[in-house]
Amino acid sequence: MRIELQETALIDRYLLRQLDEAAMREVEACMLASNAFAETVEAQRLAHRLIRFYGRRQERHRLGEIYRILHGEPGFARQIANIFA
Amino acid sequence: MMTSQTEDPIVRLYRESFPDFARLVRKRGGNLEQAKDCFHDALLIFMEKERTGKLQLNVSARAYLLGIARICWLRKAKRESFLPLAEGYEPAAPEDADEEGPERQLLDALIASGRKCLDLLQAFYYQGFSLDELASRFGFNGKRSAAVQKHKCLGKVREEIKTRHSYAH
Repeated sequence: MRIELQETALIDRYLLRQLDEAAMREVEACMLASNAFAETVEAQRLAHRLIRFYGRRQERHRLGEIYRILHGEPGFARQIANIFA
Repeated sequence: MMTSQTEDPIVRLYRESFPDFARLVRKRGGNLEQAKDCFHDALLIFMEKERTGKLQLNVSARAYLLGIARICWLRKAKRESFLPLAEGYEPAAPEDADEEGPERQLLDALIASGRKCLDLLQAFYYQGFSLDELASRFGFNGKRSAAVQKHKCLGKVREEIKTRHSYAH
């Protein structure tokens, strides 16, 4: 389990460009040498992308809530209703 | 109207900017839903830039936000062809990638199998929480535990992606 965690942490630092040049090259060499490792790196890259999408979904939901709250303010609601009347 | 000094700045920005943008969209033949969609996209870009320290304002936050919203609107109008644009006009694309079909399905599956891990991961990677903040928000016993849990969650999501991908191919 500990080795798996270390691998996850190393790949993370690689994807976030937090490794020095030599360590970056080392990870890339491992990817060339092992298809399984390359696949793991790609899956973790996709995980980062999906986490970003999830974060955006949450924020969009929050913005929808803000609109709903502002729509409860008479001044704001009247302005919007007049614009789209 | 809520105008206390503790009000979320995004709420204030929303209240002060949206009517002007809605007016612009209406003038160009758009509806309220289209105005909200573009405005929310623009706010997302604004908030992400602010969070990552990439926001360099030479104008007011409101003017900047309205500028992004306008670009979003032109882009959407062109894509959905509800607004004719001048020939050769290519609106700039905001730095906001939409979810694509397969990725949306994959994300839905990940949410179904464990929302808690995704909440933790998005707090760290998307919202930019520190490990200390993560520990206090999610109830871990210090930042070391938070770091371990974060890597466990990331590993779990990654393995699930690998499994689902291999089933998909």
